[in-house]
Amino acid sequence: MKINPIIKINQMSKGYPIAGKTFMALKDLTISFEEGEFSGIVGPSGSGKTTLLNIIGSLDKPTEGQAVVLDQNISDLSHRQAAYLRNINIGFIFQVFNLLPVYTVYENVEFALLLQSYSSQERKNAVMEALDWVGLTSHANKKPDKLSGGESQRVAIARAMVKRPKILLADEPTANLDSENAHEILSTMKKLNQELKTTFLFSTHDEKVMGYLDRTIHLRDGKIEKDIIKKK
Amino acid sequence: MKLAFTLSIKNIFGARLRTFLNVFVLSFSFVVIIGLKGVMDGWDDQARRDSIDWQFGQGQLIHKDYDPLDSFTILDGNGPIPNNISGLTPILVHQASIYPQGRMIGTIINGIEPLQKSVLLPTQSLINSKFTFPVIIGKRMAESSKLSIGDEVLIRWRDNNGTYDANRITVVDIFNSNVPAIDSGQIWMSIETLWEMTGLNNQASFFIADKSYKHNPIKLWKFNSQEELLKPISDLVAQKNGSQSVIYFLLLTIALLAIFDTQVLSVFRRQSEIGTYIALGMTRQKVIGIFTFEGSLYSVLALILATIYGFPLLAWFADVGFAVPPADQKMGIPIADTIFPIFGLKLVLSTIFLILFTSTIVSFLPTRKISRLDPILALKGKKQ
Repeated sequence: MKINPIIKINQMSKGYPIAGKTFMALKDLTISFEEGEFSGIVGPSGSGKTTLLNIIGSLDKPTEGQAVVLDQNISDLSHRQAAYLRNINIGFIFQVFNLLPVYTVYENVEFALLLQSYSSQERKNAVMEALDWVGLTSHANKKPDKLSGGESQRVAIARAMVKRPKILLADEPTANLDSENAHEILSTMKKLNQELKTTFLFSTHDEKVMGYLDRTIHLRDGKIEKDIIKKK
Repeated sequence: MKLAFTLSIKNIFGARLRTFLNVFVLSFSFVVIIGLKGVMDGWDDQARRDSIDWQFGQGQLIHKDYDPLDSFTILDGNGPIPNNISGLTPILVHQASIYPQGRMIGTIINGIEPLQKSVLLPTQSLINSKFTFPVIIGKRMAESSKLSIGDEVLIRWRDNNGTYDANRITVVDIFNSNVPAIDSGQIWMSIETLWEMTGLNNQASFFIADKSYKHNPIKLWKFNSQEELLKPISDLVAQKNGSQSVIYFLLLTIALLAIFDTQVLSVFRRQSEIGTYIALGMTRQKVIGIFTFEGSLYSVLALILATIYGFPLLAWFADVGFAVPPADQKMGIPIADTIFPIFGLKLVLSTIFLILFTSTIVSFLPTRKISRLDPILALKGKKQ
C-alpha cells in the first residue's frame, strides 16, 4: 500500500535543556517526503539535521508539533511501538558504521532479520541478496575489524536494506570515507533506491552526497532555509 | 532466546581472559561450596548412623525420672521393668568410681543384657567370662583411664541402701565407637551383675528399642523416637553448617562481584552497541535480557568448568575422606576419624540453583541502566 506522503512534519519543534535554558534544535518545521524520494538534509553542524533524522527514526520525540511517519504519530508511540516501527520499516546507516564487532559480516546483516520471524532459509537468501547488492558476498565470513571503511559502510547498507524497510535514514554516511568509497556507496544507495523504491533520507554536509540527491533541504539554526528539488 | 544465546556466547568468548577469570572464580565457588557442604552432610550422616547403631537403636523408652543429661537423676531415675514388653533392651545406669593406678575416676556403670542385638556394643564378650566382674569399655575410656584388655581395676559404688561397696572389675573387651556418649566415662557390664551389685533387681533406667518394638504407652515411661534423640546432633550439624555459610557467602560474593563488575563495565563500554540494537528495532527490555543472559551465562560456563575439574576432585575426596584431628574427636560429638563427604543430588542441585539464581540477579542489576540510556548519545558512543 502506497502512503503519500510517507513522512509528514507539521509545525514541529525540538528543544533540549542546556544549562537551565532550552536550546531549540528545530523550530516550527513543516515538511513532507514522498515514498521513493532520494533526499538529503544539509546544513552546518548544529543546524538540526541529525535531530530531524532521529525524530523521523523514532529514536527521539518532538517537543511541539507533529512528526507522522508511515501514518504513525511519533509522539504517541510507546518504546515498544517505536522499536517495532524501526524494526520493520526503518533502516539506519551511521557515520561510524556501528557494526557489531563480535559478529561476522554475514551475521551483522542477518541480525536485523533475527528480530523478525524469518525462517533460517529465508534469512540466508535475504542476507546473501543484500551482500550481493553491496558486492560483499566474498567477505561474508570476515569480522568487521578486517574490513576497510568503505566495506564496513557497505555492510551497514546491507544490514539496513536486508529487511527491505520503507525508509532508510543515513546520518553522514560518507563522513568517514575517502572520495572513491563515498561515490561507490552513494551509487549503491541510488541503485537500491531505484530498484526497491525505498525512501532515502540523508543528513549530510558532504558536497559529494549532494550531487546524488534528488532533493536537498537546507537547514540553518533549526529552520528550513531552502528546499531544492533537482529537475530530472 | 537464540539471538541472546548466540550474541552472549560471542561476546563472552570474545572477552577471553576476563571471561576465564570470572568463570574460574565462580567454578571454584561451585566446587568449594559443594565440597564443604558434602563434608557436613557426610558428618551428619555418619553421626546419625553411628548414634543409631551404637546408642539410640530404633528409639529409647526412658524412665520418667531419668534424664541422660542430668547426673542428679541417676540415683532415682529407674523403675521396675514393665511386664509383657518385647523388642526392648533394658539398661540400668548407676554411678561409681574406679581407681586405676591409685587415681580416682568418676564413672557411670551401664548394665545391659549381654545377648542384646539392639546396638553394636560387643556385649557378647561379657558372656561366659572367667572373671567375676567382666566389663567392656570404649577406646576413649581405655585411653583416659589407661586400662587395657585383661586389666583389673578397683570399683566402688553405693548400693540400693546407700551402702558403699567395692570390688575388682576386669576389662574383657575394648570397643571402637565414634559415639563418645557410650564411651567417655562409661563402663558396660551385664545388667544381672549390676542388679546384684546394687540390689536394684529387675530395674532399668531406660530401654533401647530394636526394629521389632511397637510402642504402646506405658505408665512412668516415656518413648523418645529416633528423630527426637537425633535432634541435638542435627541441630549441631545445622549450626556448624550455618557458621560455614560465612565461607560460602564470602566465596560467592567474590565471584558475584567479578560478574557484577564485568556487567557494569560491559554496559559502560558497549553503549554504542546498545544504541545500535535499539536503532535496529530491539526493545530496551530485550537488550536488558541479552545483557542479563550474557552475565548469567558465566555461571553456566562455570558449572561446566566445575564439572570438568570438580567432579573428579570431589569423587576422589569422597573416596579418601576428610581426616578429623584427634582434638576434634574429643569434643563429645559423634565424629569419626575420617569423614566421607556425601554429595547428594539435592546438595548439588540446590548449589547450582543458588549460584545460577544469584548470578542472574547480579547480572541483571547493572543492566537496568540500559532502560535510562539515551539511544542517540549511545549511538554516538558518548558515555552516559
